Amino acid sequence: MTLTATRPIRPSEQESLPRPRRRQLHLQRKLTGVIVALIVIVQVYPLAWLFITSVRTEQDFAGGNPFALPTEITFDNYTRAFATGNLGLNILNSLIVTVGAIVVIVFLGMMGAYALQVLGFRFSRFVRALFLIGIIVPVQVALVPLFVDYAAVNLLDTYQSIIIPLAGFALPTSIYLFSSFYEYIPGEIYEAASLDGAGPYRIFGQITLPLSVNTMVTVAMVNSIFIWNDFIFANTFVLTDDLKTIPLGLQNYIGAMGKVDWTATFAAVCVSITPLLLVFLVLNKAMTYSLASGATKG
Amino acid sequence: MNTTRTRLALAATVATIGLLLSGCSGGSSGTSDPTDVSPEGEIVPREISWLLSRPADGGVITAMEQIADEYAKDHPGFALNLITTPDRPSYIQKYETLAAANKLPELFDTDATPFAQKLASQGTMMDAEALLKDLGVYDDYRPAALNYQRFDDGSLYMVPFEFQLEFFWYNKALFQQAGVEVPKTLDDFPALCTKLRAAGITPIALDGQDQWPLERYMAYYPFRTAGPDYVQQLKKGDAKLSDETGEQAVQWLSDLGSAGCFQDGFSSTGYSDAQASFTSGKAAVYNIGTWELNSLATDALDPSVRDDIDYFTLPVTTDSVTAANEYVSPSGIGMAVNAKTYDPLVRDFLSFALKRYPEVYAATGALSPTTNVQTTIPDNATPLYQRAVDQANDVGEKTAMPWDTQLDPTSNTRLQQELTLLLQGEIDPDEFIGTMDGVIADNGPKAFQ
Amino acid sequence: MPMLPQRSRLSVLVFLLPPLALYGIAVLLPIFQSLFLSFFDWDGISPMLFVGFENYVRMFTGDTVFWIAFRNTLGYVVICLVLQLGGALIVASLLTLLRRGREVVKTLYILPAVISTVAIAFLFQRIYSLDPEGLINQVLEFIGLGNLQNAWLSDVSTVLAAVSVPEGWRFTGLYMLIIYAALLAVPAELEEAAKLDGASWWQTFWRIRFPYIRPVWITTTIIATTNALRGFDIPYLLTNGGPGQSSELLTTYMYKTAFTSTNYGYASTISVFVVVECLVAVGLIFLLLRRKADA
Repeated sequence: MTLTATRPIRPSEQESLPRPRRRQLHLQRKLTGVIVALIVIVQVYPLAWLFITSVRTEQDFAGGNPFALPTEITFDNYTRAFATGNLGLNILNSLIVTVGAIVVIVFLGMMGAYALQVLGFRFSRFVRALFLIGIIVPVQVALVPLFVDYAAVNLLDTYQSIIIPLAGFALPTSIYLFSSFYEYIPGEIYEAASLDGAGPYRIFGQITLPLSVNTMVTVAMVNSIFIWNDFIFANTFVLTDDLKTIPLGLQNYIGAMGKVDWTATFAAVCVSITPLLLVFLVLNKAMTYSLASGATKG
Repeated sequence: MNTTRTRLALAATVATIGLLLSGCSGGSSGTSDPTDVSPEGEIVPREISWLLSRPADGGVITAMEQIADEYAKDHPGFALNLITTPDRPSYIQKYETLAAANKLPELFDTDATPFAQKLASQGTMMDAEALLKDLGVYDDYRPAALNYQRFDDGSLYMVPFEFQLEFFWYNKALFQQAGVEVPKTLDDFPALCTKLRAAGITPIALDGQDQWPLERYMAYYPFRTAGPDYVQQLKKGDAKLSDETGEQAVQWLSDLGSAGCFQDGFSSTGYSDAQASFTSGKAAVYNIGTWELNSLATDALDPSVRDDIDYFTLPVTTDSVTAANEYVSPSGIGMAVNAKTYDPLVRDFLSFALKRYPEVYAATGALSPTTNVQTTIPDNATPLYQRAVDQANDVGEKTAMPWDTQLDPTSNTRLQQELTLLLQGEIDPDEFIGTMDGVIADNGPKAFQ
Repeated sequence: MPMLPQRSRLSVLVFLLPPLALYGIAVLLPIFQSLFLSFFDWDGISPMLFVGFENYVRMFTGDTVFWIAFRNTLGYVVICLVLQLGGALIVASLLTLLRRGREVVKTLYILPAVISTVAIAFLFQRIYSLDPEGLINQVLEFIGLGNLQNAWLSDVSTVLAAVSVPEGWRFTGLYMLIIYAALLAVPAELEEAAKLDGASWWQTFWRIRFPYIRPVWITTTIIATTNALRGFDIPYLLTNGGPGQSSELLTTYMYKTAFTSTNYGYASTISVFVVVECLVAVGLIFLLLRRKADA
């Protein structure tokens, strides 16, 4: 990847500045720090509130001030959350759908980019333009037609029914990211391999694929956030409880005629976001790096 | 790749799919006869499914699970798979799309909506009247409970599992504090609200987010002045809101709005918050059915308001054509039996279940849709519980149908939206009437052909 | 253009066909089908009825909700863009001034992106609530602006902003990361030269930094716009388009037309419009931002 000049350069410049200027800078920095801290608090507070509410008693939530600190801490909400819903199953389903879609997106994306960028062919420009449509068009367009198609071929209420559109709509971005990476693999590598008698399949397996690992991580990470939280496709194509993903499982906490057990619902919310949150925190360096580098190259 | 050829191929695919669609669209009609309620053959136990929209740990599901277990003991291999989507809008979407996909299970819940009527006319659902009569349980049912499930032509395709009465619960202490009395007629409501507001009390707690509670208020006035037929004519475009009946009803709603009857921001208040507002003694009136007896007439109720809670039924109007004991008494969403998958096993299970159900269900403290059992009053009940249960025996013939089960879905969605605007004072009665008459004229007659 | 000298037509097909097939089934075919269905009247269970351009005529001339939804969609996109791109640019710029804790800030700032929209809808329902008093109304009370308290989701004049804010809030972190990376790539020498010439921070920003990141800015604007045009979950879950049609978007209206009214034909007509609308929007962004770059 061609990430150049991403080191912060600013800190060193300070040494060369005269004293008053330096003090002004100091003040400016302090102020910036405070502002950034405030913004971060606004950004993170709702998340913290979710976790706090999930350990509140029902009475405290309904009667007391729901935005103050809880008067006592209880884990009953979690017991009720697990009793009402099917959280374990929902998480498993989300996992299957996410992993399934990501594998498809990464591999088909690599293949498409390889054909377009490395192999090349006469109508590649046209095919590229075709893929561009998928980046622009909103996913909702596919709902009705896919629903009818699935009904016709008996695919409703399957994992595939969610994976196909999720992967299909993410594919163009994936191809685009892989292509712009393949652009920077020097042609000499391929020439050398060709001279050694390697065909397109061997080159893909032995050169392109191993070199693509970074981009694979980028594509996988960016998409997993969206897919893990997908509501609309799952809501439309999943009909039975067995296949409900997390967002649908959460909907289940809305009871008949609209009654909601709020604290249990928030406990369920916390359980549902924890897996992604943990993955995110562990891999956050790789992710923030790949997110940024992925897009800035465009 | 040749682009012209590609385009042709795509067009062909599209056309093929179109054919496929028209081919399968009419295909939801079953092979069996909807009136053949007693098919011949052997009872072969298998798993059957019931797609339903009821609370997961509620009385109906608990009772049916117990009954299914009992049945499975004598019929190894039998299982009843209950698939519930309590959130009603999600459920309706689910069941309608399943119907379009021709994938409805053996049993499924539905109200007597135009969509259900289409399914019935296509022969998708078993004739419930024939079925209940054949099983010898038809006469056990409360007529009001069955009537609630009937289509306009009087045919019956759904079996009720509940019987509910909808009351106006009110807080006696708050009424006293504001110096108001229980309203004698619907026209007393605006003045009642004004006085309660003046005393700093929220007059009526309303769950505006779920739409149906507000839509009930739309149904009340015409039910009193013109009877249950009004909405049946209105939905087909045979009556209009600009008629006198409609105009009075809309004016009444508008008056409720300008008197500030509902809490500020009612349209974004959810079910639990509305109820909490009443049970915490903030709001004076709360319009809800007997399915909430456990929260409103037992010691689950906040001690500070427990002795102040009472209820009244839907007030009349001065020239009311329906009696005071006639109001909203729904028997809940009904269960339809899929004609395509109906066989001796389904019949045998239903025979067992429907005979056993009233007893098991009444023991949970709920009102059975039949008259042959006595509801068990829970130990922690307040005296109000017994009174509410006894009230069920006093219900008149005619029942006020909730409009959300009557109108076609497009008109219904629009009505819900416009009602909120009317009550918030964003539009005036004339605009409301103009819009709704237009929307119903565009969609109603087509839906009820 | 091809990098591999030895390639067979077969190998191109082997690599190209699988992605193209998936894409065709999931994206292209549905677009064509929408076009096809838009000429029919169909409820899913009755036979399809060919109606020609009737749906289009109804959409453009007879359907007031459609035009309200269209206007709301534009408002929604504008608010999301201001929050996401404006917020992202400000935070990213502030971040470059920070000496320590950049990584922590980045991580925390992007956190909302991992929460599902269903959970976000639950959360913001409580935040906007008036009775019981939600977070915003409590804060207003606390800072002495109690008379500004409002039922944010019930007021027809605030609801559109209220449903747009969560969408803006949720993804501003992603855009911030992208813009931050671009800002870091701005050569320090350029800026220092400008500073030595006596340019203020503001001038440096607009004359040096911003032009430098313009390509990234265009990409980000396009991503954010197309994402905002896809907006659906939060308005659908939070207000279901209400009160009235005040927060109805084209996407939620299409969804209801299809799956509540079971009018698949008319819903497809709206879909076709949405496709065209998106293509036009992206075209416009290109035109506007390119022009500026040339000027």
